[in-house]
Amino acid sequence: MSSSNHKALNAMKQKLKKNNKQYEELINKYRENPESEEEKFEEEEEEEDEDESGSELEDPSQIPESSDEDDEGEELDDDAGDGAWEKKLSKKEKLMDREFKKDPSEITWDTVNKKFKEVMAARGRKGTGKFEQVEQLTFLTKVAKTPAQKLEILFSVISAQFDVNPGLSGHMPINVWKKCVQNMLVILDILVQYPNIVVDDMVEPDENETQKGADHDGTIRVWGNLVAFLERIDNEFFKSLQCIDPHTREYVERLRDEPLFLVVAQNVQEYLERIGDLKSAAKVALRRVELVYYKPQEVYDAMRKLAELSGDGEKDGDETKVEEARGPSSFVVTPEVVSRKPTFPDNSRALMDILVTLIYKSGDERTKALAMLCDIYHHALFDEFSIARDLLLMSHLQDNIQHMDVSTQILFNRAMAQVGLCAFRVGLIAEGHGCLSELYSGGRVKELLAQGVSQNRYHEKTPEQERLERRRQMPYHMHINLELLEAVHLISAMLLEVPNMAANSLDAKRKVISKTFRRLLELSERQTFTGPPENVRDHVMAATRALCKGDFQKALDVINSLDVWKLLRNRESVLEMLKAKIKEEALRTYLFTYCSSYDTVSLDQLTKMFDLSDAQVHSMVSKMLVNEELHASWDQPTRCIVFHDVEYSRLQALAFQLTEKLSILAESNERAVEARIGGGGLDLPLRRRDNQEYAPGTGGGGRWPDVSYNQGRQGGSGRTAYSGGGRPMALGQASRDRSSGQSRGTGGYSGRSGSGMRGSQMDASARMVSLNRGVRG
Amino acid sequence: MATYDLTPRIAPNLDRHLVFPLLEFLQERQLYPDEQILKAKIELLNKTNMVDYAMDIHKSLYHTDDVPQDMIDRRLEVVARLKALEDGAAPLVTFLQNPNAVQELRADKQYNLQMLNDRYQIGPDQIEALYQYAKFQFECGNYSGAADYLYQYRALCTNSERSLSALWGKLAAEILMQNWDIALEELNRLKEIIDSKSFSSPLNQVQSRIWLMHWSLFIFFNHDNGRTQIIDLFNQDKYLNAIQTSAPHLLRYLATAFIVNKRRRPQFKEFIKVIQQDQCSYKDPITEFLACVYVNYEFDGAQKKMKECEEVILNDPFLGKRVEEGNFSTVPLKDEFLENARLFIFETYCRIHQRIEMRVLFEKLNLNYEDGERWIVNLIRNSKLDAKIDSDTGTVIMEPNQPNVYEQLIDHTKALQGRTYKLVGQLLEHAQAQPAR
Repeated sequence: MSSSNHKALNAMKQKLKKNNKQYEELINKYRENPESEEEKFEEEEEEEDEDESGSELEDPSQIPESSDEDDEGEELDDDAGDGAWEKKLSKKEKLMDREFKKDPSEITWDTVNKKFKEVMAARGRKGTGKFEQVEQLTFLTKVAKTPAQKLEILFSVISAQFDVNPGLSGHMPINVWKKCVQNMLVILDILVQYPNIVVDDMVEPDENETQKGADHDGTIRVWGNLVAFLERIDNEFFKSLQCIDPHTREYVERLRDEPLFLVVAQNVQEYLERIGDLKSAAKVALRRVELVYYKPQEVYDAMRKLAELSGDGEKDGDETKVEEARGPSSFVVTPEVVSRKPTFPDNSRALMDILVTLIYKSGDERTKALAMLCDIYHHALFDEFSIARDLLLMSHLQDNIQHMDVSTQILFNRAMAQVGLCAFRVGLIAEGHGCLSELYSGGRVKELLAQGVSQNRYHEKTPEQERLERRRQMPYHMHINLELLEAVHLISAMLLEVPNMAANSLDAKRKVISKTFRRLLELSERQTFTGPPENVRDHVMAATRALCKGDFQKALDVINSLDVWKLLRNRESVLEMLKAKIKEEALRTYLFTYCSSYDTVSLDQLTKMFDLSDAQVHSMVSKMLVNEELHASWDQPTRCIVFHDVEYSRLQALAFQLTEKLSILAESNERAVEARIGGGGLDLPLRRRDNQEYAPGTGGGGRWPDVSYNQGRQGGSGRTAYSGGGRPMALGQASRDRSSGQSRGTGGYSGRSGSGMRGSQMDASARMVSLNRGVRG
Repeated sequence: MATYDLTPRIAPNLDRHLVFPLLEFLQERQLYPDEQILKAKIELLNKTNMVDYAMDIHKSLYHTDDVPQDMIDRRLEVVARLKALEDGAAPLVTFLQNPNAVQELRADKQYNLQMLNDRYQIGPDQIEALYQYAKFQFECGNYSGAADYLYQYRALCTNSERSLSALWGKLAAEILMQNWDIALEELNRLKEIIDSKSFSSPLNQVQSRIWLMHWSLFIFFNHDNGRTQIIDLFNQDKYLNAIQTSAPHLLRYLATAFIVNKRRRPQFKEFIKVIQQDQCSYKDPITEFLACVYVNYEFDGAQKKMKECEEVILNDPFLGKRVEEGNFSTVPLKDEFLENARLFIFETYCRIHQRIEMRVLFEKLNLNYEDGERWIVNLIRNSKLDAKIDSDTGTVIMEPNQPNVYEQLIDHTKALQGRTYKLVGQLLEHAQAQPAR
């Protein structure tokens, strides 16, 4: 360093110190809370620097040029872009710049290495500017002597770029992110060009490993972990989407960067597959899957088009970058070997299939579970209900989802919600309800789907919890529309519950299919005046009131007027399906409600009333007859339904009540004794639960040969007993059971009975719990 | 009517040799052009050693007497290899053909191996040769020889993998020789091994089960007792799962077995649920028939399906087995199926009606009036049907069956006594145990 330069540097340092004193407060504030003002501040600083250097020295852009001339015109091209770029160099950088430019021929591997070590040693130390470090390192990549060295330095550049963002909650500045992606691509270029370079993070490589030149044969080991970097980049992308307000232009701009990431991911995956590291490739594939699985075909097509477009646009960007790189000598020139454009199959299913198969073959357990859930979600999105259901059931994910980490559980909830929507779209109401009812049972849908934070009156969250929760949120474009979800849930509950209520009108508490729906209905019935429906809930309630009377037309009109339907792709067919279902359920409800007023009903009258065909009505009614829901039979010659009214006398009805109460008594006696003497009370509810689920199968065997009757005929009372032990336990782990209950809520039958069971538990739980405690205490 | 033909779906799960009977059947039914079937046969034979047979088919297919050179070459090769294998296995074969020597064998495998090694110089190499020889015999179409050798081999073999594949070979050989009783035994043995063995991946196990079920079709639809056993096997949870996931077409056979079986089974209801669930992945007239009767209660539809079922049964290699009686050849299963299916419809129909016009009923059942009336009278007389005929109006009137209130009450309370009694017993037991403390 020449003496004049040295002097200048010192003067500069002094001045900076003095200058900073004025802003001390601001600086301190910034250090405390770096992410908020980071960029602004950074810019400010830079400006200051420039200002000062401008006043102190001559035009800064001339320095390098003059030094160049001293060095007999190096390979530098002095084009305009170069100058502009130089201007942004920080002070220190410039120094280094000069140091290297002074005598390029003298730059050896050693000098670069020494400098590299020096810069790296400063990492994390107080007073080391993070941007500065990135720039220093970027410069070093240009003077690196061997590809391996360049690679090593590039890895450090990326780490340094990650360092730029302090704290966990903020996201990396977007321009840094983009540079980071470009660096990743350069790394891949090098790796592809020199297949003898191996990236490894297991062994500490030899000090001078990177000294080996490009022509070295034999493997060169460089420390680094591609997958970790890639995942970090993805996380940063995700975080930035979480932070940016989804209603701004910025969000959309940010979303357009997605293909950029997909390119890197694709290339990394290809590279890993080539070197045979399938396990890591699977991890990368998962990241790609996570970007694709929630996209319907239209969105996918849009993304493809964007990728093609931006491929061209990107080239320009690349060119400028290349120019930059040309600036201060790249000793190791890396041609662009890997493609800069993502390739997509026409069909998102095809892409999913390729990726998912790879993951299933070679991923680890968690990766596989996540991929499976994405796969299920994607199938459900494309109305492939049976495939999605089979995958869900065969993977046994429901059984152990509560033991998995929270993000997997969220994905599981999302998949369940999507499967529920899908079931509804294809007309499987009961299945759809089974999938969705668990989601709605706690009133915490937003939280369960990570689409917003729901306030809970009774349970204050600590700031820590809140922060965690905020970090889990899904970005806006991945959201499942909550209104649609609610509409689907309530409508399917309505279709199941209304006939059910009509059938069991006398003992309303006996069989509840959807507790949530019942509660809402009670609420709306309690209102003195019912205004015209406003939100989804009001609409469904209005429809319910009509349906209870068997007025299918009005119910249909109300449902049709919901505007969430426009979110559905095949809106017409779904509404058509809904119409048929509503008619059917209206027929059932009508029969249940008014059967006591009729002696006979003719088939023709019913067909006219509900606008259904003869065959449909006949088949529906027959089904009800066979299932003994309706005590009647057909009279074939006259085409009539003849009702057999079974009227119990008062004495008989009372006798039935008595027997029911007796069995409840016996049950609670058994429980009491069991709690007292039989082994711990906990295995009892468990066994009960088993008994219930497989009531017909196992009820007869085991320790309680005679329980089966009770379970079969009179589930209600049996269940109350179980709930005494079972429920509090579940409540105790409320924070953990985000999705635990869902395990049983799927496949057609179990879903239905499962939710029914749950409903009745709640009603009686209070009473039974206190009883239980009395016994134990 | 080739639409409901399952051969293309079944064949991949069978051994090459087992596909021949299916092709023979198809040829007989003339569902496909002859030429196509003959070509398929040659294709099949190409990988086996039955070169002579392949030559014959080639001749009849192209109507020539010339045989392509590669077939002749292959024939020579096969003969040479047969010779070599025969030599390899000769010591053991001669030993096994000597009844006195065989008597020296005991139940203890180790002992046998030791003894063979010491006294006859027969080591593991020869035993391995026996396996290869048996396999080759099987490939050549000499099934009885193969079955015998494989039986002997299993007695001497210590490698469980090999033993398993020998068992598969034995089963195939027995099926092809139509020894149904022995085949059934082998089948059960194989099933036990599959169920108990720990497979490297569950997928392999499922695959084995699928194979087993496909192979078993030969046995079950030929063995006298097969129709109940097919339900026992297929309706086990593990096997039903395998069917649902990988081979839903097997539902046809299970459904047929359920319909043909006289005795109603408790599993039937569950099975209906399975059919309902799998309607999207597989359906043919037989399963649709069940769906019509038990899921949708569409009796007109059921009747239509019944007619289609007839066609399907006739064209199915397993179901449409012919029995020659003098000049007639009948398909016994078809008649049985139709009879039972009719009963199914009628049963359900009666359950939900209180008065039925007989004329309409018989139309639904494809019966004429006279026959129908007789049929119903017989049902009533055998007290299968609680009904009366009103010949004035031509209707059948069902007797209403109301459950007696008192009976119900007694039912409800009967169990309580026992439970309470037991409870008190428990309490007393506990109380007696307490003072001792």
